[in-house]
Amino acid sequence: MARAVTERAKRARKQEKLRSHNYYDYSLLILVMFIVAFGLVMIYSSSSYTAQTSSRYNNDAAFFLKRQAACAIIGIITMLVISKINYRLLLRRMPVIRITYASFLYIVACILQIVVLFAGVNLNGAKRWLKIGPLQLQPSEITKVAVIVFTAYIIYLAPRMMDTARGYIKVMIFMAVPIALVGKENMSTAIVLFLVATGVCFVASRRKLFYVGAFVAGTLLGGLYIILGAGFRAERINIWLNVETHEMGFQILQGLYAIASGGLFGTGLGESMQKLGFIPESYNDMIFSIVCEELGLCGAIIVVLLFIMLLWRIFTVAINAPDLFGSLLCVGVLAHIAVQVIINIAVVTNSIPSTGIPLPFISYGGTSVVILLAEMGMVLSVSNQIKGY
Amino acid sequence: MTIFFGEAMLAVRESRDRNVKTFHRQGAMFIVVMILISAVFLCGRLSYIMLCKADHYGVMAEQLHERERAIKAKRGVLYDRNGTVIAGNISVSTISVIHSQIKEPDKVISVLSEELGIDEAEVRKRVEKVSSREKVKSNVSKEISDKIREYNLAGVMVDEDYKRYYPYSSLASHVIGFTGADNQGIIGLEVTYDSYLQGTDGAILTLTTAGGIEIPNAAEDRLEPVSGDGLILSLDVNIQQYAEQAALKIMEQKSAKSVSIIMMNPQNGEIYAMVSVPEFDLNDPFKLNNKTDIDASSAEGMKLLNNMWRNPCISDTYEPGSTFKIITSAAALEEGVVSLNDTFSCPGYITVEDRKIRCHKAGGHGGENFVQGIMNSCNPVFITVGLRLGVDNFYKYLNKFEVLKKTGVDLPGEAATIMHKKENVGAVELATISFGQSFQLTPLRLMTSVSAIINGGRSITPHFGIAITDGDTGSIKKIEYKNNDSGIVTEKTSETMRYLLEAVVAEGTGKKAFIEGYHVAAKTGTSEKLPRRNNKYIASCLGFAPADNPQVMALVMIDEPQGIYYGGTIAAPVIAELFDNILPYRDIKKY
Repeated sequence: MARAVTERAKRARKQEKLRSHNYYDYSLLILVMFIVAFGLVMIYSSSSYTAQTSSRYNNDAAFFLKRQAACAIIGIITMLVISKINYRLLLRRMPVIRITYASFLYIVACILQIVVLFAGVNLNGAKRWLKIGPLQLQPSEITKVAVIVFTAYIIYLAPRMMDTARGYIKVMIFMAVPIALVGKENMSTAIVLFLVATGVCFVASRRKLFYVGAFVAGTLLGGLYIILGAGFRAERINIWLNVETHEMGFQILQGLYAIASGGLFGTGLGESMQKLGFIPESYNDMIFSIVCEELGLCGAIIVVLLFIMLLWRIFTVAINAPDLFGSLLCVGVLAHIAVQVIINIAVVTNSIPSTGIPLPFISYGGTSVVILLAEMGMVLSVSNQIKGY
Repeated sequence: MTIFFGEAMLAVRESRDRNVKTFHRQGAMFIVVMILISAVFLCGRLSYIMLCKADHYGVMAEQLHERERAIKAKRGVLYDRNGTVIAGNISVSTISVIHSQIKEPDKVISVLSEELGIDEAEVRKRVEKVSSREKVKSNVSKEISDKIREYNLAGVMVDEDYKRYYPYSSLASHVIGFTGADNQGIIGLEVTYDSYLQGTDGAILTLTTAGGIEIPNAAEDRLEPVSGDGLILSLDVNIQQYAEQAALKIMEQKSAKSVSIIMMNPQNGEIYAMVSVPEFDLNDPFKLNNKTDIDASSAEGMKLLNNMWRNPCISDTYEPGSTFKIITSAAALEEGVVSLNDTFSCPGYITVEDRKIRCHKAGGHGGENFVQGIMNSCNPVFITVGLRLGVDNFYKYLNKFEVLKKTGVDLPGEAATIMHKKENVGAVELATISFGQSFQLTPLRLMTSVSAIINGGRSITPHFGIAITDGDTGSIKKIEYKNNDSGIVTEKTSETMRYLLEAVVAEGTGKKAFIEGYHVAAKTGTSEKLPRRNNKYIASCLGFAPADNPQVMALVMIDEPQGIYYGGTIAAPVIAELFDNILPYRDIKKY
């Protein structure tokens, strides 16, 4: 009898365990894989001409494709591995140094940002890359994960704190260090980091109104800063308003040419004219304009919808997460992807002044795609911990 | 999709009583809604650009992508009055290489260097240069370019083109002129009639990359070129050639600097020949014609080239000397201040105010009437006649004979007459003007004014262009000139002048212009070049025939002859020689 009871209990526990670990957001996984694959196609389409005609890239049409594909494979493996590790590991203390993994990540990101300021490789006039042997690394991408994880971690430690303005300020004091370090060389990424951290705090807080007030105040202050601030920021506004006549508006104008050439269904994959040297580095931040040119309005809207579906999946994982930490992690990732997509498309369509933010998963950039996939791994890991259905 | 979102909504509802608090869910939902609003806004913005602004930006983009490759229009052909082509086109090719399309660089290099006769290293430099298109050689003849085309080498482009070609190379070089690399007339008739001759270039519109590389297989738009209109000239190749030979002969005989001959029809202004030797090769106009070592591209060389291209018949002025006495005579006869029987006395000089002006005959011509005066070309006679006319009358006739105006010939660069201002003319100046000194005009100006005097008083516009032929249809359109101002002189004065000038040939200074079978009329002239006392002269003779009904007028100018320099001695025989051949050629009956 007793034996039977224990048997039953055992079976129940087993079943419970089976059920709890059974959930894994495959739709999210497939969506991510699809977007990454689409990104590779677009990178090949937009970069092959540049790569083929330049000896800098060994005249190899697939130069960018190969590098991005390698990073994407590394990223996908990373994602799958992380997704199978319980995200709560981040809250554990590390052996030997006895600090949590979350804090460790934060400290490493800050150190890397400091290192890059001194030992960074100077590309296009900004020190943003670290060279380690054959690898080139963009520490600001790592900082993005660190900010997401560490914000969630602080809030997890004292969730009640977030109900006051003071809590938000405390979080932002911690975040000020990496944001300032990134902002030194890369203002637009700093803005992304700030928005991501603020987004996480907003979700965690009971007092939403404060954030709305803060948002309005922030916008006003930011506007004043841009208008009264440094000449080059005012210049950007000028370019934005006079994109067709301003000589510095060249890249954006070329992007607009590409978008306008697309029409409803586009010129066809691989048929872009603007990628033939008219848009500098068309496989980078401007890749969405090539998507528009080749796939038309329909293709562009489908890409936007793909991102919305992706965000929606992350959102469902966030609200079903077993604990606050997991939920906030997902919110951070969601905010990160959303902010980048919106800013990127807004820049390409000249809806806001120009700033260099890549389109997640699609723009060329090894570190970026690996880190984004790692973040998706975290979201999948959270989904993997959702119990019972 | 519905299933996808439906499942998600279910998840939202189910999550209500889970660990994540409601306010968290609301917060996250708020963020998602904000994202959706942004996405809708961006999609709207995209639709606006791609649908509403498509024309605006699309057209701008197309202009950016389209490359126009010009197809040269055939330049209009110049014909002489008998239909002989004197300026045409030949087919030439431009050979260029396209780096990215070359498959066998070594073969390309060896073939091109062999066929084009260029150094291998030079070709290699072009072939190996990473550029969209590198020109190897232009103006390659058709045979060679056809040969190169037969090799069918990848990356080697043979573009056909036209080049101006002058079959008579140096014939009438100053008149016809030549064109530049961009099919633009540089001097001569090629400039005057440039707008007719040019035609309209066609174009091949292709798509190119930002680097200007044409995209293969892209649709091409082709705009056919329109050939330039042809031009029929009054020039006669035979007369021109004959005149040129005569000019060369006398230039050599007299070791002269240059010789100019103009032959025209005094009735309508059609110019049969305009020679200024030395001429230059129109097919190689940038080569100096006077065997110097000076580099034609240097500043000094450029100056020499400009001098070589200069047409002295219309661009250089000179003191006409005694040939101008025709004008003085006509004015005096017209005004009635002299009659043929008026007697004059020439002691070898005449005193005007305090100035003693010499006659060319040291001892003087003694007593003579006006007819003898013009036959002797006696300066005191013409000074007397000029003074009788007075400044006002003299200028009245200068204006009437259009001496002070440009002729309006259809050549660029015509020089204007340099004459005293009327208010500065005193008796001495008037005296010198009367026998053709102290002012300058162009040879063509003199001929044109004399034409009006001897053709019965009709002013003419000297010209080369007779008609324009349409490049495509071949239809002919005559060019109209204004030459209907009649009454420049009365018919009687005109007749008297013809008689007087025939007398000059019959018995006077123009004796050597006499030929058997024709009544030739002429007036000779000898002018000392400025500055005086350098023993540099221009010997000239203006003649026309037949004297009673002038059909051909000729002016011969010998610049700086060595030895004997009198117009009557050295220029008049050239007139005789010309008329002896040209008059029968023009089917003018002997008497």
